[in-house]
Amino acid sequence: MSEFDVIVVGAGPAGSSAAIKLASEKMNVLLVDRADPPGSKNISGGVLWGNDLEKIVPNWNKMAPVERYITSKGVGFLTKDSSIDVNIKSRKFLQGVTGYSVLRVKFDQFLAKRAESAGAMLVSGVTVENLAFKDGKVIGVVQEGDTITADTVILAEGANPRVAIDSGARRPIADQDVAIGIKEVVKLPEATINERFGLTSKEGFAGEYALGFLEDGVEAGGFLYTNRESISLGVVINMGHLRADDKTYSFDIMDQFTDHPSIASLIENGKLSEYSAHLVVEGGYNSFPKQYGNGYMIVGDAAGLSFSNGLMIQGMNYAIASGILAAETAIEAKKSSDFSEKSLSRYKEKLMESFVAKDAYNFKGIEEVTWGKLAHKIMPSLMEDVLVNMFLTDGTPKKHLTELIRKAMKENNVKSSDLLMEGYKMIRRM
Amino acid sequence: MALELVVITKIVPDGSEVFIDPVNLTLNRSLATNVINPADENALELALQVKARYGGRITVLSMTPPFAIPYLEECVGRGADRAILLSDKAVAGSDTYPTSLAIAAAIKHIGKVDIVFAGEKTSDSSTGHVGPGVAEFLDAELASYVSSVEYDDGYVIATREFEEGTEVVRIPTPAVVTVLTNSNNPRKASLRRKIDAIRQGVIVWDLKEVGLPPDAVGLRNSPTIVKRMIPFPRRDRKGEKITTDNIAKLVDVFEQNKLIKGGE
Amino acid sequence: MKVEEKLSLLNYKTDPEYAHITIKPPICAVCPDHFCTFACPAKCYTLLNGKLNFKYEDCVECGTCFVACAHGSVTWTNPKGAHGVKYKFG
Repeated sequence: MSEFDVIVVGAGPAGSSAAIKLASEKMNVLLVDRADPPGSKNISGGVLWGNDLEKIVPNWNKMAPVERYITSKGVGFLTKDSSIDVNIKSRKFLQGVTGYSVLRVKFDQFLAKRAESAGAMLVSGVTVENLAFKDGKVIGVVQEGDTITADTVILAEGANPRVAIDSGARRPIADQDVAIGIKEVVKLPEATINERFGLTSKEGFAGEYALGFLEDGVEAGGFLYTNRESISLGVVINMGHLRADDKTYSFDIMDQFTDHPSIASLIENGKLSEYSAHLVVEGGYNSFPKQYGNGYMIVGDAAGLSFSNGLMIQGMNYAIASGILAAETAIEAKKSSDFSEKSLSRYKEKLMESFVAKDAYNFKGIEEVTWGKLAHKIMPSLMEDVLVNMFLTDGTPKKHLTELIRKAMKENNVKSSDLLMEGYKMIRRM
Repeated sequence: MALELVVITKIVPDGSEVFIDPVNLTLNRSLATNVINPADENALELALQVKARYGGRITVLSMTPPFAIPYLEECVGRGADRAILLSDKAVAGSDTYPTSLAIAAAIKHIGKVDIVFAGEKTSDSSTGHVGPGVAEFLDAELASYVSSVEYDDGYVIATREFEEGTEVVRIPTPAVVTVLTNSNNPRKASLRRKIDAIRQGVIVWDLKEVGLPPDAVGLRNSPTIVKRMIPFPRRDRKGEKITTDNIAKLVDVFEQNKLIKGGE
Repeated sequence: MKVEEKLSLLNYKTDPEYAHITIKPPICAVCPDHFCTFACPAKCYTLLNGKLNFKYEDCVECGTCFVACAHGSVTWTNPKGAHGVKYKFG
């Protein structure tokens, strides 16, 4: 007889969602997090998309500490001297559901407390050291020499999942699985943010950027989101590219991003309030690790469930969705008293049926594009040349647009065949 | 005979997260999470060491609203035998005088107590009043600024630390010792003990339970009057961080500021 | 603003008794790339006269170095409960 039905390791969105679902179905669940208070080690890009949370916490957006509702989206290509931005602000965003900017320390505490009030036992400030095994099955967790037993363990440790890796539950992380994320929170008065981004107090802006100004083939993306009284902005740096380059410092890329004229003007006179870093799960469908086994399931970032299609980065809603699916699987396993790998394989099936895996599958190979030359180098420099020439008045007659493009392609040493090839890849992936 | 040990504790905002609002010059605690008062962690650790050496029972006592319950569970998780929360709306606004009175009443209600451990001060108000106040209301001996404690047949032998040196005092029980911040390295709760602590729960007492009338405490019975607050003028520090990879510069800066004398 | 100054904004509960990351100096001594010094966003890995210098106290627990080190020098464990970095915003 196990002490708990389920032990959930990690109280981020994935773990807390699993615990909320489990506890609300009267399962005996322990939710344990190494941070105290839970959430105080968690960071994210900052926008929570989608509405899975609604299923387990109805009207969460009215109760949870959210910052702003995203009504304005932007994509920017930053070259050394210029930025080419496409911004969309649409009333349609108000009718559908986009996302909320959140600050994770407060938000994750809210979710963990919800799990506790739903009936889960919440223990924070304790680091689980390992999984406990018996006859090849996970039977609980180990901490300071004690084994705490459970029928099922859900590992929700995030992007740096020590217990999952060290216990052999999942393979170690490789270069292609992750990018290095660096983020800063810059304090600014609410009114200044509203003014700079053309927002009302509850409306928010979320932008993604291709950092085309970086030299030496290091490719990185940037992001910038508005909170109520601060701006979260950061960079996501491809691990493999940085390694191949071996002369660029990750933290310098962050500075180059915040120093770029078009970004610097958005955070001008702001006060840096927090600097943070986090691995960003990048792998996608082609590199999902093993997500379940005998007596355990892995959810959220720890299971490689994150997604980026170049226009949006998503992780938290996949974390929440996978947490709920793992909880459902654990509930079904309890009904049949079968916690074997075969029984828990229902989790993988549920994942594959859900939008989580479908998104990942539909955008399979997107990393080739998002980390490709086209998005980061060719398109930005082409567009820069074309647009700058279009608007520059130097006394010579205006040239036709196609002529400008052809000239820019020549100057940027871009062959039409390459552009076609890269463009085809991009369209196919997106 | 097993010792009856009591640790009194307060839950405070994490000092490193409290900052002075640059606009209206007040303390901004809105982003601060709560923690066990740092000196009280040392007090609990010392009590745990005394229990390990001489045997006994540790009761952790706090006069706080119910939000303190998880922190008291942490104390039990570290090895205390039980936790009591003294929670009553009537104590709102109490300064250190009625606070000491109410805590002393709760300790009397526990019964015969040998040693009461308190932090030397709280990190959010730094008065250092409550430990000595409790000693006064209990009519117990007091040893303040204590770093270690021994027990010898009805006597507490406490080592007190000062800037000038140390002093060892021998006082009869019941005794109150106030424990220095950072005088030991507090242990953390294990998962096993924390689970057991949560299951055990926290005992909640109100004023009636400890036999104190509501009109003995609260703002009206608090002699402290805050006349005004004077914020320090804001000074922009021109700090520069010099790391070990630039020793030469470090030496220059020290020399320029006459912190060291230049050599040949 | 330098990384060191940015890190000074953070709240750490440093564990004086337990280093959650350790390196194997003999491996680092012959390392051809020292990629850790480029990858670590908290500048915990620096070269001092060609020798690798590591400090765990500034670590923000991102896990980058564990992936970055291709030579097996980095041992990465979680800090003990409630120790390490404590963010205010996230």
